[in-house]
Amino acid sequence: MPKLTIDQRPVQVAPGQTVLQAARKLGIDIPTLCYREDLPANTSCMVCLVKVNGRQRLVPSCGLTAEEGMQVESETPEVHAARRASLELLLSDHLGDCAGPCQLICPARMNIPLMLRQIAAGQLEKAIATVKADIALPAVLGRICPAPCEKGCRRGPLDGPLAICLLKRYVADVDLQSNKPYRPACAPASGKRVAVVGAGPAGLAAAYYLARRGHGVTIFDRHEQAGGMLRYGVPEDRLGREVLAAEIDQIRQLGVLFRMNTTLGGEMSLERLRRDHDAVFLAIGAVTSEQVESLALAAGRQGIQVDKLTGQTSQAGIFAGGDAVRVRRMAVRAVADGKEVACSIDQYLSGGHVTGPEPFFSSRMGALAAPELEILCQAADPGPRSEPPDLSAGYDPESAATEARRCLHCDCRKPDECRLRIYARQYGASCGRYKGSRKPFSRDDSRGEVIFEPGKCIDCGLCVQITAAARDTLGLTFIGRGFDVRVAVPFEGSLDEGLSHLAADCVRACPTGALAWRRDRQV
Amino acid sequence: MTSPTVDLGYVDQTIERLGRDPAACIPILQALQEHYRYLPAAALRRVCELSDISPAVIAGVSTFYSQFRHHPVGRHIISVCHGTACHVKGADLITQALRRHLRLSPHEDTDAQGLFTLEKVACLGCCTLAPAVKIDEVTYGHLQPDQVGRMLQEFLDWQKQHAGAKGADRTRPDGITGDGEIRLGLGSCCVSRGSGKLHQALLEALRQTGANPTLKRVGCVGMCHQTPLLEVVPAAGRSYLYARVEPRDARAIVLSHFRPKGVARRLRNTVSGWLDSLLTDRSWEPIGRYAIQVRDKPVAAFLDKQEHLATEFCGFLDPTDLAEYEANQGFAALRECLANLAPDQVIDEVLKSGLRGRGGAGFAAGTKWRAVRQAASAAAADGGPGNQPFAVCNGDEGDPGAFMDRMLLESYPYRIIEGMTIAAYAVGARQGYFYIRAEYPLAVQRVQEALERCRQRGYLGDRILDSDFGFDVKIMEGAGAFVCGEETALLASIEGRRGMPHLRPPYPAQQGLWGRPTLVNNVETLALVPWILRRGAEAFARLGTPTSSGTKVFALAGKVARGGLIEVPMGISLREIVEQIGGGIANGRRFKAVQVGGPSGGCVPAHLADLPVNYEALASVGAIMGSGGLVVLDDGDCMVDIARYFLEFTQNQSCGKCTPCRIGTRRMLEILDALCEGRGKPGDLERLESLAETVRSSSLCGLGSTAPNPILSTLRYFRPEYEAHLAGRCPAGRCRALIRYEITEDCIGCTLCAQHCPVNAIEASPYRRHEIDAQRCVRCGTCKSVCPADAVIIQDVACQNT
Repeated sequence: MPKLTIDQRPVQVAPGQTVLQAARKLGIDIPTLCYREDLPANTSCMVCLVKVNGRQRLVPSCGLTAEEGMQVESETPEVHAARRASLELLLSDHLGDCAGPCQLICPARMNIPLMLRQIAAGQLEKAIATVKADIALPAVLGRICPAPCEKGCRRGPLDGPLAICLLKRYVADVDLQSNKPYRPACAPASGKRVAVVGAGPAGLAAAYYLARRGHGVTIFDRHEQAGGMLRYGVPEDRLGREVLAAEIDQIRQLGVLFRMNTTLGGEMSLERLRRDHDAVFLAIGAVTSEQVESLALAAGRQGIQVDKLTGQTSQAGIFAGGDAVRVRRMAVRAVADGKEVACSIDQYLSGGHVTGPEPFFSSRMGALAAPELEILCQAADPGPRSEPPDLSAGYDPESAATEARRCLHCDCRKPDECRLRIYARQYGASCGRYKGSRKPFSRDDSRGEVIFEPGKCIDCGLCVQITAAARDTLGLTFIGRGFDVRVAVPFEGSLDEGLSHLAADCVRACPTGALAWRRDRQV
Repeated sequence: MTSPTVDLGYVDQTIERLGRDPAACIPILQALQEHYRYLPAAALRRVCELSDISPAVIAGVSTFYSQFRHHPVGRHIISVCHGTACHVKGADLITQALRRHLRLSPHEDTDAQGLFTLEKVACLGCCTLAPAVKIDEVTYGHLQPDQVGRMLQEFLDWQKQHAGAKGADRTRPDGITGDGEIRLGLGSCCVSRGSGKLHQALLEALRQTGANPTLKRVGCVGMCHQTPLLEVVPAAGRSYLYARVEPRDARAIVLSHFRPKGVARRLRNTVSGWLDSLLTDRSWEPIGRYAIQVRDKPVAAFLDKQEHLATEFCGFLDPTDLAEYEANQGFAALRECLANLAPDQVIDEVLKSGLRGRGGAGFAAGTKWRAVRQAASAAAADGGPGNQPFAVCNGDEGDPGAFMDRMLLESYPYRIIEGMTIAAYAVGARQGYFYIRAEYPLAVQRVQEALERCRQRGYLGDRILDSDFGFDVKIMEGAGAFVCGEETALLASIEGRRGMPHLRPPYPAQQGLWGRPTLVNNVETLALVPWILRRGAEAFARLGTPTSSGTKVFALAGKVARGGLIEVPMGISLREIVEQIGGGIANGRRFKAVQVGGPSGGCVPAHLADLPVNYEALASVGAIMGSGGLVVLDDGDCMVDIARYFLEFTQNQSCGKCTPCRIGTRRMLEILDALCEGRGKPGDLERLESLAETVRSSSLCGLGSTAPNPILSTLRYFRPEYEAHLAGRCPAGRCRALIRYEITEDCIGCTLCAQHCPVNAIEASPYRRHEIDAQRCVRCGTCKSVCPADAVIIQDVACQNT
C-alpha cells in the first residue's frame, strides 16, 4: 500500500492505483477530460497535470501509478498555469459555439435557441421560464427592442434572421393572457431589505431578480406611476401602457413594494435609505456629475462611477446601473444591468465576495463560409422568415412553431455537461490566447439519434476505447496523426454502424459536445 | 484517376504468409502496398475479413504511418528530400520547380499523364548530396531548380535503357583474384552517385584489359562529399583514392595501376597523361572529378581527428563478407563473453566503460541492461516461461540531417548483430528485433543478408558458439513515423499498432514489448559494444571526457566544404569538427552556427563553437547530442527560417496524442510562418516563448518536450533576427516573402538570367540591363546563381521604394 502526499496531505492507496485516484480519495478535484475509471488512461488531454518531486516535466496524474514516498503538487500556481494552458490549447482547436451568436449578442444573454426549440415543440410554459430567467420584461421588450440578437443570426444573410423578438413577445403575450401567468419559484425570505431607486427598466429588473432570490424590495420613484422611460419616454403607439402595467404587475406579485412620488434627495436622502436598508440600488436614469456629487458618490465620465463587473459605487452597499452609469442605451441593456446588479447585491447581502455574475463563457466559431452554413441549414426547416400578418395580433401557435423551427441550432447540444467548458470557466481559460488557424465546420448527422461534430472533438480517445472494447461494431478510430488526427468511423462507415448499441455510452463519455444527442433533452 | 478493379487474391496469399495476428498489421500493409502501389480500400476490408485485425485498427494504423498511400499513384514516385541539409540548400525551390514543371495544381500531387507523383520525404539520409531527389530507386543530388526538367528526362531515358536490367549491379564479381585490390564504396551515398554503374564499368574494364586485381565492395568511408569513391591498392607501393569517379574513367584508372595483358603501350601512355592532370590540376572544387591521395592535406585533415570504433576498419570491410569480419576480430567479443564472462560481468564491463545511449538522451547503457536483467529475473520469479525479455535495436533514425545509423547498418551489419547478441546474452533475451526505417532499403537488405549468414555460421540461433545461449533476430521495417524513434512508440509499432508513445513509467525495461521487459538500444550504442568488450572498458573510458566516454559518430552536412560521416572522440570541439574535419565553410561565406541534434536540438552559434562535444556541454547551450546530426549554417541561413523548418518537421511528425504537442507545435509553427511571411504581430515573440515553455514542460514524450528547442535556442542567441522579421526584414535574405531580387547596373546584358528564369520573370534584352518582374518572380534565386557578373542582388521588400 504505497503512501504518498498530495499538496502535503498524506494519503495511502491500493497498489497500482494512480495519483489521480489518490487525489480523489483526498477530495482534491484534479480536472481531466480523457479519463474514465474503468478504462486504461489515455494521457491525451494533459489537463490532469501534476508536479512530482524529482521530475522536471509535469506528469498526467491519470496515468501515473502512485508510489511510496511520492510528493505530488496539485493546487499550485505552476500546475494551474499548465492546466490552463492545456485547456487553452484545446479551446484554440475547438470549433463550436457554446452559445449561439444570438445569445452572445443579447445584452441579457437570454438563451434564445432554447426558447426557440421550446416554442417549436409547443412547450410555451417552458419557453416563458427560459425567457424570464434573463429578461424581466419580455412583453415590453418584445415591442420596443431593436433586437440586436437578430443581427447575429447565422440565417440572416440567407433568408432572413429568425424572428426572435416577435417570438419572445409571442411567448410573453400568451403567458400574460393566460389564467395563470408564469410565477417563478422564489427563494425563502432572506430577511434582507433592498431599496431600489427608480422604477424604470433597470430598477424593475433588479427588483424582479432580487425578489426571486428572497430579498425584500421596495422601489422608490419620483413619478406617479412605475415604468420610468418606458412610460415617460416611449410613445404609446409603440408600447401599449396596458402591456407595461401587466408586466409590472407580475413583479408586484412577487412581493415588491412601490413607493411612488418620492424624490431622492428631498425627504428621502441616500444616507437615510442606506441606513434603513441592507443595500441600495440606484437606477435613477441619466444624471449630471453635479447630481452625482450631491449624492456624495464618485462621478464617472458618463454618470455614477461604478465597478464595471459588479455595479458597486464608491460607497459600500450602494450599487448603480442603467442610464445612471452610462449614456443611454437600449432598454434591454438596462434590463440586463438590473439582472446583473441583482446578482452582485445578492452576493453582498450573503456576506460573500462581490464579484458580479459569473463571466459568460463561450467558445465561438465566428463567421461561417457558405458550405459550412449549408451543413447547418440541412438540419433546420427551410423557408424564409415569416412574421405574423397582423403584428398586433401576433403569431398563432402553428406559425410561431414554424418560424421557430427555422433555428439552425448553432448552439452546443451539451452546453452544461461539457467538461471542457466547465474547466475552462473554473481555470479562467481564454479561448483566444492561442488563437490559430481554424478547421472547417463539419458534422456527421446522416441519420440516427447521435450527432458528431468533429470540430468539437478534442481527440481524447474515450469513444475509440469504448468501441474497441466491443468487437461487434465497426467502431471509431483515429485517422491520420498529429494536428490533423481525427476520429472517424473506419471505411467511411456511418455513425450508426460505428456506434450501434454503444451510442449512449459514447455520448455520455464524450467530454465535449462532439458526440451528442440530436434532440435537446431540455425540451 | 479512378481506382482500378483490384484482384484480391494477393491479399489472401499475404495473410497466408504473414499470419492473422494483429502484430502482422504493418508488414501486411507494406506487402499490399508493394503489390498494389497503394492500399485499395477493398484490400483492407479483405484483410479484416481474413485476419484478427479490426477495421478500426487497420484504418488507424494505415493512416498513421506516412509510408502508406490510400490513393493510386503515378507510374514513378518523385521523393523530394526535405531533410535539414536539403532545406538549407533550397529543397523547397526544387519542389516548387517540380510542381511548375509537372503543372500540378495546389492540391494535386500526380501529373495529368499519371506518370509522376510528387512526394515530400522527411529525409533520404544522403545529406551530402543536398538538395536531393529520389525518383523510384534513382537518386539525384546537387540539383538546381532549373535542372528539374532535364532530370526527369534523364530519368525516363535511363528507364528506357535499363528496362529489365534491374539488380544487375548487386552481383558480386567472381573469379577475379590478383595481386592488388580496387575498393569501391557501396554506401547509399556512393550508390546514389552512381557506384553501381561504376562497378559495372570496372568489371567491364577488367574484362577488356585482362588486369587482375580484386574488385571489392566496401562500406561507407564517410567521405560522402567525394562519392563515388574508389580506392586502388596495388600489391606494392602507395594506395590511391579517387573521388567522384564516373563510369567512363574506369578503364583509365584500371590501366594506370595494373599491368594490362596485351594492350598497346601507346594507349597506356595516353591515359596516364590524362590521369596525371587529374591528380595535380584540380582542387576542392564542388564540381568535377579528381583523384586524391590519402596523404593529401585535406583528406588527412578529414581523417586525422577521427577515431574509428563503431566504424572500425572503415573503407576496408566488405559489408556482407562474414569471413572478412571474422578475420578482423569479428565475433571475438561475443566468443569471449560466452566462454568466459557471466552476464552480470558483461554488464559490469559496459557500466565501467561509461557507455551512454547514442540515440539522444544519453542514458547509461549498463544501467539499462541491468534494469532489464533484474526485471526479467523478478518476472521469472513470479511466473512461468513467458517472461523472457526482448532485445530491440532501434534503427528508426528519423532526424532530418542524420544518417549515422543508416551508414552503420549498411556498412557494419555484423558488428551491430554482434553487439546486440552480447546485449541479449547480458539481459537474458532469446528474441530480438531490428527496427529499421523503411526509407533505408539497402540497410534492410544488408542486415537481412548478414542475419542469414550469422545463422548459418552459428552466431545466431540455438546454442550459439556451442554455448547454452540461444538468440535470434527479426527485422521490423518502420513505416514512416519519426515518433517511432521514441522507444515506447517503437514498441507499439512492433506490436502492430499506431506508433503512439505512452507515459513512462512503466519503462520498457520493466514492461515493454507485449508486457515483457525489453531492452531498447540504438544502432550506434550496439556497434560500440564489441569494441568495448574486446579492448576493455578502460580503453573506451580513456577516450572522450569523464562524463561522456568513447566516441560519437556524426553526420556532418550543410554549408561545410567536406561533409560526410565522422567518428570523433567525445570532447572534441565543434570548431575542430567544422573547420578541420569539415574544411570550414564552403564558398567563402561566414560560419554562423551549427545545428546539433536535429529537431530536438538547438543551434550553437559560431562564437560558442569552442564548446567541447559532450552531453552536458551541449545541453548547457540549449542543444542536445541527439542522434548526431551536425548541420553547419552560414550567414546566408536565416535562423527564424531554421526554427520554422524544424517546427514544421516536428509538427508533421507529432503523433497527435497529447494536447501540448499536437496543438502547441502547430500554434508555434503558425507564429513562425507569420514571422517568415512578414505577418508578425507585436507580442508574437512573447507568445512564442510562453508556448515553447508550455510544450516543453507539459508534453507526454521526448518528441514534444524537445520540439521547442530549436525555437528556444535561436531566440536565445539570435533574437535580433526575430525582431527584424517582426519588422518585416529577413537579414539573411532567405525568407522569400521578405525579399526581392534586383538586377544592378553591373548587368552586362548576357541574357543568361532570362534564359534560366523558370517563370519568365525576366525579359531577354541583349546588351542592356535586365529587369525582374516582381509580380512573376518566385524568388528561386536561379538568376543570381547563373549571373556571371554578380549583378543580381537581394533586397528587403520593406525598402521597395527607396
